[in-house]
Amino acid sequence: MAFKLPWSGKESHRDDPYWDFFINTAPADLTNTVTELIRKAPAGNIFPTKAELHTPEITASHVKGMAQYFGAELIGIAKLPKFSLTESLSPLPLAGEGEGEGARKNSEAEDLPFAIICAVHADYDPRIAKGIGGQMPAQNGLFITFVLSSWIRELGFRATVVRDTNAEALAAQAGLGTLNGQGRLITRKLGAGVYIADPVYTDLPLAADG
Amino acid sequence: MSKAEKIEPAPQASASAEFPTPYLGRTVRIIGEFLNVDMNQSPHPKNQRGELGKPLFNWYHNTVSKDPLTRVSAPNHFADRRHFLSTVVNQAAKGKINPKKVPVNDPAAMARHIKAVAHYMGADVVQIAKAHPNYLYASGGGRYVQDGTAKDEYSSHTPEQLARKFPYIIMATTAWDYNKLQAHRHLIGDAAYHVSQIKGNMILKALEGYIKELGYTALRGVAVPQAVGIASGVGELGRNGLVINKKFGARVHMPDPIMTDLPLLADEPVDIGVEDFCKICRKCANTCPTNSIPFGDKVVHNGVEKYKINWLTCYKLRPYVHDHWGSCLTCATVCPYTKPNAWWHNLTTSALHTCPFFARPALVHLLKWIDDKFWGVVRNGRVQWLGYDSGVKPGEHACTVASCNASHEKAGASAVTGNVGYYAPLKENTNRFVKRDA
Repeated sequence: MAFKLPWSGKESHRDDPYWDFFINTAPADLTNTVTELIRKAPAGNIFPTKAELHTPEITASHVKGMAQYFGAELIGIAKLPKFSLTESLSPLPLAGEGEGEGARKNSEAEDLPFAIICAVHADYDPRIAKGIGGQMPAQNGLFITFVLSSWIRELGFRATVVRDTNAEALAAQAGLGTLNGQGRLITRKLGAGVYIADPVYTDLPLAADG
Repeated sequence: MSKAEKIEPAPQASASAEFPTPYLGRTVRIIGEFLNVDMNQSPHPKNQRGELGKPLFNWYHNTVSKDPLTRVSAPNHFADRRHFLSTVVNQAAKGKINPKKVPVNDPAAMARHIKAVAHYMGADVVQIAKAHPNYLYASGGGRYVQDGTAKDEYSSHTPEQLARKFPYIIMATTAWDYNKLQAHRHLIGDAAYHVSQIKGNMILKALEGYIKELGYTALRGVAVPQAVGIASGVGELGRNGLVINKKFGARVHMPDPIMTDLPLLADEPVDIGVEDFCKICRKCANTCPTNSIPFGDKVVHNGVEKYKINWLTCYKLRPYVHDHWGSCLTCATVCPYTKPNAWWHNLTTSALHTCPFFARPALVHLLKWIDDKFWGVVRNGRVQWLGYDSGVKPGEHACTVASCNASHEKAGASAVTGNVGYYAPLKENTNRFVKRDA
């Protein structure tokens, strides 16, 4: 095992002969991954009694505190422009395709005024690194958004996790960072090594950032 | 610890040459005839069958928590099961083992890799035990599973057959947040416990899937978590019946471990001085609201010498405090080993580990005095987190969030001042119906 100074920063995994398999080899069976399980999980019902809330500013800080406790490293809240909302959603239902998953999510997300955007650090880009390890930022993001959206529904408000292709722009709008020339988010804390989780759209009264 | 200092396990008539009586460190010894644990006789399955009485049955099955976060994170008290991530993860279909097996030439390198992977996934402690039939649930008694099923083609195998075929057990676990845990017997403490628990479940599921992707089997629900925790060196068994870890003290979960045929290198039981500390300390026994933790010496239960808690009285309190909290956690909070993961804590446990046995009682007396002086004999500090505040008396409502000018229907019943937290029920109340251990 290579000599490592205690203050030399994060683990490089250079001496691990199996690390590349963990990061880059796509799973032979997607059922072995947690990301697919959580992505496909249906949303639960909204609790019939609304919880008593504080002011929107305080509620926003509590939502951020909760997301941080679930593991989010950067959290922002963006106000959604009502009529441009569905244009950015993906996957969009095609004409004549019927009520698919995309259509259901679109209809659920309509009229929701806020998007909560959570980001986690990403040592590897999940779009390139297809192994279970490479997908770890996506797994962490899914954990956060699943529990956070469930908690908001249990508060008695609507909340839905939306696969939004425009998430990085929303993150920039929420003040998490700025977009570079390629449209990628650059943050002050994590630089470009950041993964934006699918936004949580909600009608919980919040105060938007940015 | 040198070999001469090790307490050798007593010879056991039923122990075969293939599986000699395992060494489990200084806190637990197998000294008599041992019967494998029947999962169906553990507390939750007994309660599911209604054998523990109506109040406990109804608490477990028919109560919905009034706290939104508990409804999302705690097992069984949700309004909608779909909001509980462990249900989603555990009820999912099982993945197939990759037919392209990754060859393992160096089990030590693979053990390091699996630990690095589990840590990368978010586990706080990862250890590996050599499988032994004594660590496994009795054959024919079912598997441990929280939701869904742990059935597989090896369900009919005996513990000996399983230990032969799958020689390693991986324990990957998460720790509870220290600051929130200070509000034990409170919803804030529950948040620390339950959120880390669902995260731990997800990590273990991901690790199970990864082992299958490497081309090896990963079995769940077969091994007794605490036995594996001690055998693998996660920690030692304390007087409070919890596995006490060097870094995190008693604030680590003991989840369902993974049994596997992946070639690995097993770890050994550890000595961090719990044996010496628990003989003297007794803080957990003094503060347990139900007197479920013994003050006396170890006893032999099912052939195992250890401190034996009364799990039934510990369990029985829960229906009566359901409005205030879900998991007590007092014994974990007051344990002097449960501290923030700081240099001075690591230094103290290292001092205990390296101290000669004859000098340990003096060191323990000194450390306990320091603990009482700085952290208190009982923990009743006020903890505030988001909208929660343990300074609000149980049953009362008050908004204590600074600068909140929202109108609250229920707020204003009490003016909260000072730094004292209220943790129901108070010990003097429970003394009335739970008799102290002789």
